[in-house]
Formats: sequence, C-alpha cells, structure tokens
Amino acid sequence: MSMEPFNRLVRLAARAFYDDITMKGDNQPKSGRGDNRGMAVVVLDALTRRQWVREEDLAKALKLHSKQLRRTLRFFEEEKLVTRDHRKETAKGAKVFSAAVAATGDGQQMVKEGEEKTKLHTHSYCCLDYAQIYDVVRYRLHRMKKKLKDELDSRNTIQEYICPNCGKRYSAFDALQLVSLTDEYFHCENCNGELVAESDKLAAEEMGDGDDNARRRRREKLKDMLQKMEEQLKPLTLQLARVKDLPVPEFGSLQAWEARANAAAHASGDSSAIDSTKSSQGQGYGGTPMPFLGETRVEVALSGVEVKEEDTESDIKATSMKVLPPWMIKQGMNLTKEQRGEVKPTSKMDESSAPVDDKKSKDMKGDEKSIQDEYLKAYYEALVKRQKEQEALKKMQQESETSRASTSDFSNRVSEALAERRVGMKSKREDDENDDVEWEEASPAGSTGGTYKLADLNVEANASSDDEDDIDWEEG
Amino acid sequence: MFFHITLERNMQLHPRHFGPHLREKLIAKLMKDVEGTCSGRHGFVVAITNVEDIGKGLIREGTGFVTFPVKYQCVAFRPFKGEILEAVVTMVNKMGFFAEAGPVQIFVSNHLIPDDMEFQSGDMPNYTTSDGSVKIQKDSEVRLKIIGTRVDATEIFCIGTIKDDFLGVINDPGAAS
Ligand SMILES: [Zn+2]
Repeated sequence: MSMEPFNRLVRLAARAFYDDITMKGDNQPKSGRGDNRGMAVVVLDALTRRQWVREEDLAKALKLHSKQLRRTLRFFEEEKLVTRDHRKETAKGAKVFSAAVAATGDGQQMVKEGEEKTKLHTHSYCCLDYAQIYDVVRYRLHRMKKKLKDELDSRNTIQEYICPNCGKRYSAFDALQLVSLTDEYFHCENCNGELVAESDKLAAEEMGDGDDNARRRRREKLKDMLQKMEEQLKPLTLQLARVKDLPVPEFGSLQAWEARANAAAHASGDSSAIDSTKSSQGQGYGGTPMPFLGETRVEVALSGVEVKEEDTESDIKATSMKVLPPWMIKQGMNLTKEQRGEVKPTSKMDESSAPVDDKKSKDMKGDEKSIQDEYLKAYYEALVKRQKEQEALKKMQQESETSRASTSDFSNRVSEALAERRVGMKSKREDDENDDVEWEEASPAGSTGGTYKLADLNVEANASSDDEDDIDWEEG
Repeated sequence: MFFHITLERNMQLHPRHFGPHLREKLIAKLMKDVEGTCSGRHGFVVAITNVEDIGKGLIREGTGFVTFPVKYQCVAFRPFKGEILEAVVTMVNKMGFFAEAGPVQIFVSNHLIPDDMEFQSGDMPNYTTSDGSVKIQKDSEVRLKIIGTRVDATEIFCIGTIKDDFLGVINDPGAAS
C-alpha cells in the first residue's frame, strides 16, 4: 500500500486551492518583491515527501526563512491540512527524532548529529494529516457545489410574486397580507389579481423587466461557473474517488510516530522482521524509502547505476518519485519495473533499516554487495531530490507561474486550470486572513466583479442578505 | 435563538398604587406590559426572570403619574437567518404553507418545498409525496430552516425552507390518528 495516491491528492489540492495564496504579514506592503505566491504549493509538495519533520529542517531544506515557513504552516494548520506539534527539547529528544527520521529513511534529513546537541529550545514539528485532508477537500468541494446549485435552484432565495394585471411586485415576506380566504392563491392588494410566482419563467419573460434579464444572465453565469468548476476540478474529484477505499496513511502523534519508527529500526536486525513490522503498520513508511546517510560516505563510482538513475529521474522531472504513480506512466515511457511500482522494492526496505543497523552493530548480513549498490542508488537519488528542491525553490523565487507551468505534465494541467481563478482567490485571501471557518463566512460582495471565484463561491449567495440581516438587528 | 438579556424600561405607575405594595405592583405591570411583546431589536420577550433595579421615581407634572426606570432580565427569542426551527403548520395553500414557532410566523413558499411533494387541494389542503408517505397539512410539525427574516419594530416574519437535508415533517398528527 503506497501513500502515493494520497500524496497526489495533496498535490492536486494544493494547486487547486492554494496556488495563489500569498503568505505575508499583515503589515507588509504588497510589492512585487514580496510576492511569494506558489510557496504554499511548494511547502505542501515538500511535506508529501516527508512524514513528521522538524520545521527548522524543512525550512532549511526548502531554503525558506523559518518565519515564512511557520506562517505558511500555521495557515495550513488552520486549513486543517497539517498537524503540528511543539515541544521543549533536549539534545536527547532531538536525537530520538533524528533516529526516527533515519529509521523511516527520509533522505532529506541531512542534519549532522553534532549540530543537534547544542539545540535545547522549543521545536515545532509538522506533518500532513491525510485523513483530515481527505475530508477537508471533499467538504470544500461539497460546499462549493452546493452553493452554486442552491443558487441555481434559487433554493435559498426569497420568492417574488408579480401581479399580471398591474405589474406590482411582492415578496414572500408579504405572504401574510396576500393570503386569500376564498382560494388557494395570493391576491394583489391593489386589483385583487392572482399573483404569479416570479420564477415561473414565462411570466418573468412576459414582464420583460431589466431585472429579469439580469437574473437570466446571472443564472447563465452560475451554470457556466458550475460547469467550469466540475471541469477544472475533475482531476481532484477523480483522485478523491481513487483514494476513497484506500486505507489512509496515519502517522499518529509525533511521540507515537517516533517510538514506532525507532522500534522499527531496532527490529531491523533481520530484514524479515522489518518487513513484517512495516506491513503491519499498513502503509509502510514513505513512498520514498531512503536511508539516512549522515555518516556512510560512499563515492558514487558505479557509473552504470548513476547514469540509469539520471535518465529516469530527468524523465520524471519535478515529482522526484522513484515509483511512478500509475497516472504518470504513459505509453512510450522507458521505465523499469520498479518505477512502475510492479516490483515492490523489497531491497529498499532493507536500505531504510540497514544504515542504522550498520552504524550500530556492523553485522550486515546477506549480500553485502547488492545492498551497497542499493545505497549508492538511494544516495544518488537523495542528491537528485535535493537538487530538485533547490531548483524548485529557485524557480519559485523567480516567477512561480511560468516555472510551474513548465515542470510537469501534471502540474501543467492544473496550473493552467488555475490561471483563470486567480483573481478571485486573491481577493478572498485579503478578507479571510483571520477566519477559521472561511467557507462559512461571507466576505464583501463587492469583490465579485465578474471573475470566476473558486474558493468563496458561497460569498455571493450569502453576503447581500446576510448584511441586511445584520443591519436590521443593529438598528431594528 | 433564545437570549437571556438585561433590558431597561421606564414604567409609569398610577398614584393609586403608591403604598406598601408599590414594588409588587410595578413588577406585575412590567410583566403585563412586556411579556409577549416583540421588538425588532431583541425579538420576542418570552419571560421576565428577574428585576435587577428600580430607580428613583419621577413625578410627572399635571398627572401625578410617577415614572420609574426599571432594569430587568428576560428571556428573549429572536429568529435568525440560517437557524433551524421546529414549527407547527397553521395554513396550507397552493403558494406554500404558513407555520408558527412560538410567536414567530414563518412562510414556506412552494418552491422551497421539495420537488417531489405536490399540492393537493380539498378540505384539508396538503403537500404530499407521490407515494403518500409524507404529508404536510395543518397541524403537522415540520423542521425548517430560516432563509430570511423581516424585522419590523413590532413584528418578525420569516421565510423558511424545507428543501434541504433533514428538513421536513417530523411529526404528523393526521397520520398518527
Ligand atoms: Zn394588481
């Protein structure tokens, strides 16, 4: 069972909803230089390649200022995508974590041990909360759709009535006065004519009001919007469906995760043991089993391995996955079986445990040569990955949009789709900085000027009437 | 939604009440005057729970009436947009139905009734599903969602919907009998 489907879900959601979010303090002026749109996506992507990670380490890996990263993470915590944990830490605690990281074979953690002993203050950790992400994304989509559909069905609108004789309009609020004692209809106060509900299209068209035209246009716009939304979010909904019946990767709390990871490492004396622990933990650790290589210094000399890896990696480009997810595999791609995920890389399972093993007891058994080869592979891949991250970061700094558009086929599609939604997203951000339940909140209706707004579709429906309500309450 | 709030009111008391039971008289009058009334701002005053303070009376020239500023606590009921209420149907017609939740009148227009319910006229006009399993008629109890309120100085009128999940008939006395 791989985490890849879930990671893909995260990446898709990141691009769909968080692509255009700027992470900056309220006091900072909006200048071109401070534009860090797209960083949210980079951070989420980075998290898909990790489990629990110390935020400083993540910042270092992403070449971000830790403050900036923290702001982003806090935002994602509020968005319910990320779980965070903070704790006062002794050197020992930090070591436990590093060991855990090593055990899970996250090659990103290039922290030297000596460095850690000096750190004694509060550290923050974060990881993706896949179960919650799944729910949050579904809920978000549901709310968006519901808002549009409700409005299309004029579900939460106050019915209006027109007198066909004199053209006088009434709303449902007048219902009490309009009730007739003699029949089942509402009657005009002026001429006692039978009122017609305005949503009856014919009647509305007969009246030929400017209002009605606006209403029709609005309906069309809504329909259009709904259609666009379904279209553009198709990859996301498909991925949600794909993920639906899969067990959700669960890291547990930081402590639990550490304990488990370390236990797994200790149990790795023989490789069959580690295999069984891994499978018993469901997902197994990491889509990218990669050893901690802090001390194992190996010169990359096996050119054969190297070249092969380089080729395939450059094929894959930005995603830096070894086992290619099924959606990425296309005809004509020259892939190894491993990359297709057909052969479960059992040898790599060994890798992840072996280095710890190696450090501690030096009693590596089995085919030493092959394991070493695997080391090289993994090490090289770690390097490539790191490079890629740096690249990604650089690109992000340069110009997020263009770079993303060129990275991969997958992000291509999504970012294209996103380009249209930007304006709306931005205006929403400005208002919603402090909202927890942002989908519920109405933000000013003034920002709706004809752009396709993705994330705050509810706004249009609520805002106007909500405001009225408030005013009534205040001034009543 | 219900609120427990503190309100103030200037009470005028006839001189004939001046005596050992002035305070009781004043409170009785307050209850009579205030309970059951509706203000646009605070909604319906359901019950007075406590009289906090009665200020110094001021004799009004010419009449002999005395005005007391009274501070009291009361339970108030005010419906809000988006609130879910349970209400009793009072009238059904082709345009929809009226219901009452305590003192609040609510109108549910026919386009806010689920599409699978159709209007049936007759002695007992009602909205019924095609299979007849659900029926809304006078005295039915429905759970509805308020989608709009009109608040006047002395009246609150609401528009509701039952076209959403978990809304609709919750108890039908007609079906039970
Ligand atoms: Zn008329």
